[in-house]
Amino acid sequence: MKGFLEYVPGNSFLHRMNPVAKLAAALLIVITCFVTSSFALLIGILVLDLVLAARCGMLKQTLGLAKAVTAFSALLGVIALFTTPEGTQLVALPFGGYLGTGSILAAVRIVLRLVACAVPLFLVFYVTRLNDIANSLVKILHVPYKYAFTFMSTVRFIPLFMNDMAGIMEAQTARGVEFDGSLVKRLRLMVPLCVPLLVSSVRKTNSAAIAAEVRGFNLRTSASGFKEYPFASRDFAAMGACLVLLVGAVALALLGI
Amino acid sequence: MIEFKNVFAHYEAETPILQDVSFTIDDGEFVAFVGTNGAGKSTTMRLCNGLLKPVSGQVLIDGVPTTELRTSELARRVGFLFQNPDRQICCSTVREELEFGFKAQDRLDQDARQRVDQVIAEFGFDPDAEPFLLNRGTRQLLALASIMVMAPPVIILDEPTTGLDYRECMKVMEVIRRLHQSGSTVIMVCHDMEVVADFAQRVIVMTRGGVVDQGPTFEVLRKPDVLQAADLIPPQIVDLSMRLVQARPELAHTPVAQANTLDEMADALAALAQKGGEPA
Repeated sequence: MKGFLEYVPGNSFLHRMNPVAKLAAALLIVITCFVTSSFALLIGILVLDLVLAARCGMLKQTLGLAKAVTAFSALLGVIALFTTPEGTQLVALPFGGYLGTGSILAAVRIVLRLVACAVPLFLVFYVTRLNDIANSLVKILHVPYKYAFTFMSTVRFIPLFMNDMAGIMEAQTARGVEFDGSLVKRLRLMVPLCVPLLVSSVRKTNSAAIAAEVRGFNLRTSASGFKEYPFASRDFAAMGACLVLLVGAVALALLGI
Repeated sequence: MIEFKNVFAHYEAETPILQDVSFTIDDGEFVAFVGTNGAGKSTTMRLCNGLLKPVSGQVLIDGVPTTELRTSELARRVGFLFQNPDRQICCSTVREELEFGFKAQDRLDQDARQRVDQVIAEFGFDPDAEPFLLNRGTRQLLALASIMVMAPPVIILDEPTTGLDYRECMKVMEVIRRLHQSGSTVIMVCHDMEVVADFAQRVIVMTRGGVVDQGPTFEVLRKPDVLQAADLIPPQIVDLSMRLVQARPELAHTPVAQANTLDEMADALAALAQKGGEPA
């Protein structure tokens, strides 16, 4: 994996899938994660995510990503822990609230749900060229190119901004700023760095917009791209499988499982 | 003194960037690192102030390995001017920008404020100006001033003249020359051989992560094998001198063969013309 959300070349099943089918399948998995409350199904989806990542040769990187999402979702989990008074009371909280067995399950479920739904979304970007995502959205779903380009640019700029931020932090480190220490201290030191990041971001986006304009951005239509994105049987199979998963999740939800 | 002893270094990727690099830079020297893109010059600079630690070998600053010093501690000894000033500038006024380094190192006292005033006067800055609204050359000067104000004994300049016009380039380089004359050690990465020839006392030539040659600037820049190995074009006068000697080997023992500056070449050619165009 070269960088955050940067395409990794390969020839796996996921690499060969139609970009729109990949997006649709990922979205179906995300919806499934939010529909279901079943631990078994969430764990099953997570295992499926990891199997898919392994098939693409990105298991190690996906585990790292899952770790980062776990750390972020843990914050939400903690909030859920203290705001979901369910199950047998374990600890009494002020204002009549309590921390129960259900609170712990709710917290764990949030973490599991976010990790299970984040991985397929990230995988889509790692196994698909951004141009292919944008062009297939234009060709197949007839999304106006302007919006597809905006989406593509947004994603493309994320690693660039991360790289810029790393460079800015390096420049400040060279001036004696120490970014280690407590989270509060680090945040306090990083806030002023948003200024150069913002300035470079505006300059970059402005340059990109001008470059697009001078290359006839406004003349582009859905017929401008020469590459076709036909659906293959594997695309229908993948989307069908994800749809079955979603139907299963809805059925389980209706049964209260 | 900065000393590299058999240094190997790489970033996150496994590909080695530096391989077995060794050199010494004495106090008060003005050294230029030259070579093509990807030769390892910027990595060498990062190693000098601890932004990157060697995988093996040692980088010693005044005899102390950088691995034993915190980067903030190294920042007091080694100032670093980045190629892009916009990565360095982060405050909303010129004065705040110049004070930033002292604040970062918890040294903003009366002396520091006086030093900031002194630098503002020296550079002719408007202390209340918004740094990001200054032109590119002035932003580069501000970035340089914000390093100089801390008065580190060693200053590293990573391509300080990139993107500047000739006038701005000379302005920045004259400041650097004054800094060197005041006793600072200056280490510079530069692709402009004219600038290197005009300012650096010594050159270290790098290619593919290793040092090809090092020595007095003009001595190194006159070695055809080194120039070829590092894909360098010598300064114009040196190039002219070498071409003249190549075309007329009998000039090899005349001042033409040693002329490094425009004045030296003019004098050498004038002397030759006086003798009827034939070497003595």
